[in-house]
Parts: sequence; C-alpha cells; structure tokens
Amino acid sequence: MSTIPSPPQTDLAPLPDEPPVRRRSAGAGGTARLRHVGLPFGSLLLFLLLWQLLAVSGTWSETLVPPPAKVWSAFVDVSTTHDGVRGYNGTTLIEHLGISLRRIALGAGLGIALGVVFGLVMGTVGWVRSLFEPWITFLRTLPPLAYFSLLIIWLGINEEPKITLLAVAAFPPVAVSTTTAVTAVSQSLVEAARALGGSRWDVVKDVVVPSALPETLTGVRLAVGVAYSSLVAAELVNGLPGIGGMVKDAANYNNTPVVLVGIIAIGVSGLVIDALLLRLERAVVPWRGHV
Amino acid sequence: MSSSDTVDKGAEAQDTGRAGSVRLDRVTHRYGRGGATVTAVGPVDLTVPAGEFLVLVGASGCGKSTLLRLIAGFEQPTYGAVRVSGTAPRPGGTAGVVFQTPRLFPWRTVRGNIDLALRYAGVDRARWPQRRAELLARVGLEGTEERRIWEISGGQQQRVAIARALAAENPLFLFDEPFAALDALTRERLQEDVRQVTAETGRTTVFVTHSADEAVFLGSRIVVLTKSPGTVALDLPITLPRSAVDADELRESREFADLRTKVAHAVKSAAAA
Repeated sequence: MSTIPSPPQTDLAPLPDEPPVRRRSAGAGGTARLRHVGLPFGSLLLFLLLWQLLAVSGTWSETLVPPPAKVWSAFVDVSTTHDGVRGYNGTTLIEHLGISLRRIALGAGLGIALGVVFGLVMGTVGWVRSLFEPWITFLRTLPPLAYFSLLIIWLGINEEPKITLLAVAAFPPVAVSTTTAVTAVSQSLVEAARALGGSRWDVVKDVVVPSALPETLTGVRLAVGVAYSSLVAAELVNGLPGIGGMVKDAANYNNTPVVLVGIIAIGVSGLVIDALLLRLERAVVPWRGHV
Repeated sequence: MSSSDTVDKGAEAQDTGRAGSVRLDRVTHRYGRGGATVTAVGPVDLTVPAGEFLVLVGASGCGKSTLLRLIAGFEQPTYGAVRVSGTAPRPGGTAGVVFQTPRLFPWRTVRGNIDLALRYAGVDRARWPQRRAELLARVGLEGTEERRIWEISGGQQQRVAIARALAAENPLFLFDEPFAALDALTRERLQEDVRQVTAETGRTTVFVTHSADEAVFLGSRIVVLTKSPGTVALDLPITLPRSAVDADELRESREFADLRTKVAHAVKSAAAA
C-alpha cells in the first residue's frame, strides 16, 4: 500500500544500512541534546555568574542589585515558615502563585470563551464584523493599566476588577485570530459538506469550527501571554495574596530580593503554561499542516 | 423509482420526471454583473434520461465545470431552467458530487469522513457500521477506517471521496474531472471502478473531463462543448461491447480507437471555433 510517510517515519527511513547510520544519528542526537539542553543551561550559568560579579563589584548598592544568594534565601523564606512567619505576608510563594493562577484561569478563561464566540460570529456574519472590529482593535491597543482605574471605580477593589481586567486583556487576541481563521475557511470544504447534505449549522459545526481550531489555539496562547503580562497590573490594588500583589508590596518596602523572586516565579510559571498549551495544541490539532 | 413510471406519455416526458434524470432547458449562465458580464455557458438544451452515463468533454475554460455546478445546484442559471428528477436541484439533496480534488476533512479519519456523510444523509446510526463497510468495500478500501487522510495516497483519497458521495444514495452522480491529478495507472483503475459502481447501482451519471480517452471508456453518451460560451457541439451515443470484454481489451479495440479519434477531433475543432 502506498502511503505518504508521516514525519516520524521519515526519521526511521535510513535505518536499513545500520552501523554507519546509527553512529551518525547517535552523534547527531548528542549534538542536538547539547544544543537543546546544554546551551540554555550554559547561558543560565553565565547569567548567574555575571549577576554575581555585578553584585560584588559594588557598582550599585545591594538594595538595587542583590546578589543571587540573597535572592535564593528570599525564595526559601517566602516558600517556608521561618521564625513563626509564614511565607510572605502570611502566604507562601506557591499559594500566592496559586491564587494568581486562579485569577488568570477565571479571567483569561472568560475572555477566551467570549473571544471564540465573537470570533465565530464575526467571521460568519459580515455586518457583525464591521460593527465590532473597530471596538476590538481599540480595546487591543489600550494598555490594561489605562482601564484598570475605571474598573476600580466601577467594580471596587476585590476580585471583580482583577478578573475583569484579565478577561478584557485576553479577549482581543482570541477574537481577532478566530475571526481571521473563520474567514479563511476553505470554501471547497464548505461546498463539499453542503454537497453531502450538511445544513448551515452542520457546516459551522463540522467544517468551520475544526478548520479554525489551529489558529484559535494560537490566539489562546497569545491571550494567556497577554493575561500573564497584565497580572501585576491587575494586582496593583489590594493584590495580596497574589504573586503580582507580592511583587508590588515588596517594591513598596524596597525588598528587591522578593521582587526578583516574584518576577522569576511569574516568568517560570508562564513558560510552563505555554509549554502545556503547545502540547495541548499538538494533541488537539494533529492535522495542522495537512490541510 | 417515482410514481410517474406508471404513466406512459412518451419516452422523453417520462424520463424528465424520473429519479436521476436531468433536464437543461435553454440554460445560460453569466458571471459578473452590469456591463462586464462573461457568458460561461449557453444556451444549452440537454436531456439526460435516468440511468445514462453522460460524459461532458471540452477544452479547459469551455464551461463544462460550470454546467456541472448548475446541475449540482451550487449555481443558479442566469436564464433557463435546470431540473433534476423533475425538481430544481439543491446541493446535497439531489446528487452525489465528486470534485477535482478529494476535499476530505483532514480533522477526521477515513471512518469519520464516511460517518459524516451517513449522518448528513440521515442514515440511522445503528446502520452506520454496516453501511460504512459496504461503502468502503465498494471502493476497495477495506481496513483503512482508522487511517488519517494524509496517510493514504491521492488515489485512495479520491476513493474515499467517491464512497462519501455514494452514502446519500442519490439517484444522480456528478463527477468534475476527478482523476485529472492522478497517475495513469491509478486513473485507469478508478475509471474501471466508477463504471462498475454506476452500473451496479443503476445511477444516472454526469462526468466532466477533458480527456477523449476517459470519455469513450466511461460514457454511454458523449457531449462535446464548444468554447466560451459552452454550447453543444457534438452529441454522440457510445455503443461499445462493454460486458463482453475486459477493460484492457476494450481500450485496445479498434472501435475504441476510432471513437477516441472522433471525440478528440470534435474537442479540438470545438475549441478552435
């Protein structure tokens, strides 16, 4: 049976002439591992070294540039209970992060859901797109801080303005990418579904949604990124407990080590979430690149 | 078959209302609007009785695909009327269509593509496994249910498309140059299978191609179209001893070669005119 080999099979293809190929592939694998693991790790070490050198050189005071060891001990302090104090302000680092992640899940989740719905409708109904697109573009260009004050006035200082801010920040990228994906749906596939007897709704459900899915998921990744970068802004007012609130609060006391711990925690958790979303995307849209 | 079978009003009147019959009545189709219109087809008068295998042949740009789209109901004629089984055609309701490219849904497996067609056709879910197996057996694709679309060859993809178009059991089958992109060997094998499938199911077929060879091999009647706008240049019944000989013998026979030459000449002069 003649088949078009999928990418993993292509990797296996040169296996028949074994010994030389194997040696070569082992060498290539080693180089690849060095590149994918060794280089990032090496750059991290180099960064820590430069940081340490900068800190001990005394160019700036320890308040401005604390040495890595101090940041590490701040990390240990905020992660554990020490001298009867629990973490930072009574909450451990992981709990701060968890509370913030919950806000992101709620806010970005809401924004993403709305964005998908708006994108689907805007992509299918021309006049709805003309009606809403300028507003969404307007919203997208605004920095979250600009409307945060307004949200505080309207919604108070509890969870509502924070979650709304994250939702408003996450909404435009998903709406825009879904709209684009829906407008770009292959007309020949739509026609094929209609030729099989599919109704208008069948076409939306069975052709438009799945064909828009890859680009929508890219929009979701963007949206989570935007929500993440708005986190500190969302937790500027009454943000404790919360990782952004912790950064803000520590900054008020010139507690640079804790600020750095917070920034690193936000960055690392963002990387992990992006990797998970990327994995989800590969699992949900295996046909990507085959359309 | 419809109830009009019982009424005897002469062959043509009977045929135009029968399930699967096609009737084009002074059909003209124009693209564009205002002063900048292009007449793609017409005027065309054509009656395809139920059970016939009609092949539309013509050079590229002669409007043969447009004619097929009119019969499928994707386009409405600017003038004149199209009737399929006595009513106005409606996409998905009157004919099974196989396009130039397979147009399979890549987010579904082979099974998923067939199942979608069965669902749209309103087949009872309990009957899906049996119907799916029948359809795949009919196009020679047993055991490929779980394959992804990009894991099977172009010829196999077009076979899935044929099986999918058969799911609804419409009495009319439309093909728009379905094998143009395939290699010669695959093309010949699929031509034999299409002949067999349509003969077995007794469906009316309208098949568009630019190949005289394909036309003579498949058709029980060949219509050659002139170029822009497409009108009927030649209407030729084909009587070859199909059941008596095998496909290769038929292709190598003297009668086949004569007909192919005749059709090829007609296509050439129609394109030049």
